[in-house]
Amino acid sequence: MKYFIKVVLAESYKQHRNYFNNKMIYVSLFLWPLLSFLASYYSYKAFDLEESAISYINSGNILVFLLIGYMAMSFFRSVVQSAWRFSSERQSGTLEYIYLSPASRLAVLMGNALSSVFESSVVMLVFGILMIFYNRESLHANVVGLVVVMPIYVIMALLWGVFINACFLYSRDTDFLFTILEEPMEIFSGVKVPVMIFPGWAKLLSCIFPLTYALEALRQVTLNNSDLGTIKITVLISILIIVVLLAATLITIHIVEKHVRKTGNIILF
Amino acid sequence: MIEIKNLQKVYDVKRRQSFFHMTREKVVAVKDISMRIDKGQIVGLLGINGAGKTTTIKMLTTLIEPTNGTYSFDGIDAIANPDLVKRQINMIAGGERMIYWRLTAYENLWYYGQLYGIDNTLLKKRIEKLLQIVGLEDKADLPVETYSKGMKQRLQIARGLINDPKYIFLDEPTIGLDAVVTQDLHKEIRSLAKDQGKGILLTSHYLSEVEELCDYIYLVNKGELVIEGTKKELTDYVFARNRYVFSVRGMDKKIVCRLRDNLRMIDPESEVLFEDGSCTIISKAELSSAIAEFALKEKLVINELHKQEPSLEQAVIKLSKNLERKDTQIA
Ligand SMILES: Nc1ncnc2c1ncn2[C@@H]1O[C@H](COP(=O)(O)OP(=O)(O)OP(=O)(O)O)[C@@H](O)[C@H]1O
Ligand SMILES: [Mg+2]
Repeated sequence: MKYFIKVVLAESYKQHRNYFNNKMIYVSLFLWPLLSFLASYYSYKAFDLEESAISYINSGNILVFLLIGYMAMSFFRSVVQSAWRFSSERQSGTLEYIYLSPASRLAVLMGNALSSVFESSVVMLVFGILMIFYNRESLHANVVGLVVVMPIYVIMALLWGVFINACFLYSRDTDFLFTILEEPMEIFSGVKVPVMIFPGWAKLLSCIFPLTYALEALRQVTLNNSDLGTIKITVLISILIIVVLLAATLITIHIVEKHVRKTGNIILF
Repeated sequence: MIEIKNLQKVYDVKRRQSFFHMTREKVVAVKDISMRIDKGQIVGLLGINGAGKTTTIKMLTTLIEPTNGTYSFDGIDAIANPDLVKRQINMIAGGERMIYWRLTAYENLWYYGQLYGIDNTLLKKRIEKLLQIVGLEDKADLPVETYSKGMKQRLQIARGLINDPKYIFLDEPTIGLDAVVTQDLHKEIRSLAKDQGKGILLTSHYLSEVEELCDYIYLVNKGELVIEGTKKELTDYVFARNRYVFSVRGMDKKIVCRLRDNLRMIDPESEVLFEDGSCTIISKAELSSAIAEFALKEKLVINELHKQEPSLEQAVIKLSKNLERKDTQIA
């Protein structure tokens, strides 16, 4: 266990030094979500939200609604980017040396996800928290719910990242996941538009993204004063997803290792 | 002791014929290799490009799984227990990749040390010692991207020793380095085996390197062992033959033919090759006086006549060619 944590921390530190040694990167990672957020916010301004189909959205809290969406998304999205960066280690040959060591593969992937989740979204988080604080009168939060729900989704985002990282390790051809996961996640998880008003087919799609459940639960507890009882189904599904993600990751890591040892493709790019 | 027997690696390669059509084919990277590495010994693995050296090293480091064969590592079945082996080995490959360029030397070593779960106080001491051994202690806090090629390579060596491995696999460690740096590295490699008792396997394109360093040599071609032995054994085997370079003024095919006939009387298996106006003569017999006599008798003006020092390089080429010839004859 101590060894596992050592590896997680070492990997986070390495990623931090390797990719985040330039302060500009924090700003650039924030710029795009910020623009997207502003665009959505001003689009909503054009509509009369008092008539909206969603009980807990009104013109007063739409800003917070969107901020929570974007904050959570930047969390989930950064891990996909981290996976993409990690696959560059295949080219630099360093991945082979990671595989040469007896270090837990899960620990390495976790360290990588940990560093990128927090570093890629830190500016967005600070921005979001400040904005929410500024608009705190539009909150209608259930504190106990929030305290319980927050760690669940941090863990979920991490595992989501670890899982995607593991998929990327399988072969260089898994890069297509990047395109599949990035934009659709933003659209179908309900970052900008609540899932509830989606047509049936789109709702079905949103079910596959863990972010959907994270957003639902977080918004319920912050905007609708929902207690754990009200959102228990969402939370249970989320915990189930966490378990499934963990299992899927472990299986993927195992398959990847076998595949790599068979094809020797750890250095191909 | 490391012992591999009849190790084989066959890759399944997809070849794209058209957008919708792929064919699979088998690529035999290593056909059949058996070898042994003892502690304190430097073993050389020689072979031309594509011979299967890197593939063999990857199998020994458990990075790839052999298709066939056995691998015993200090009595452990290494194919079934790669994790037990990983702690006790390391690999050093030539080239500048495989380290993080934005990190400093110290950070690189620290990171790899963490991957092996080395205790932090021990690790700190070890890193300092290694940096000193490879002469990077002054530059330890500079990012690797500011290093020269030789410095990066030295850092690789330090990285390869971070877990104090019992066996080290070196895949062309001196590629692209100049003579001075190479000499330093050779000294280091020798001391690892002789003073610290580590078992070392070294592949190389530079035959002088293998000649200089290795206690025992395996020569592979097309994934198969061609010959093995100590340096002395190999040299004897191959250079029981003598090799002469001979040229005279106005040398032509006729002269070469007469020379050949003449020398075959002494050694029927001698070879006389004519190329670029000069002859190469290969024979088991001592022929310098016979060649000189021939020139005298024919009243030829000798431009050049000397005996070449045996070198491993020629042996590799020659033995590889022999094997190829055998192959094509069978096919
Ligand atoms: N991952 C792989 N997939 C398919 N074929 C491979 C793979 N790796 C190596 N080969 C093939 O196996 C053969 C042996 O390659 P290997 O890299 O072991 O040679 P080598 O002796 O190290 O050569 P070099 O001196 O050029 O480094 C080559 O024909 C190569 O094309
Ligand atoms: Mg090679």
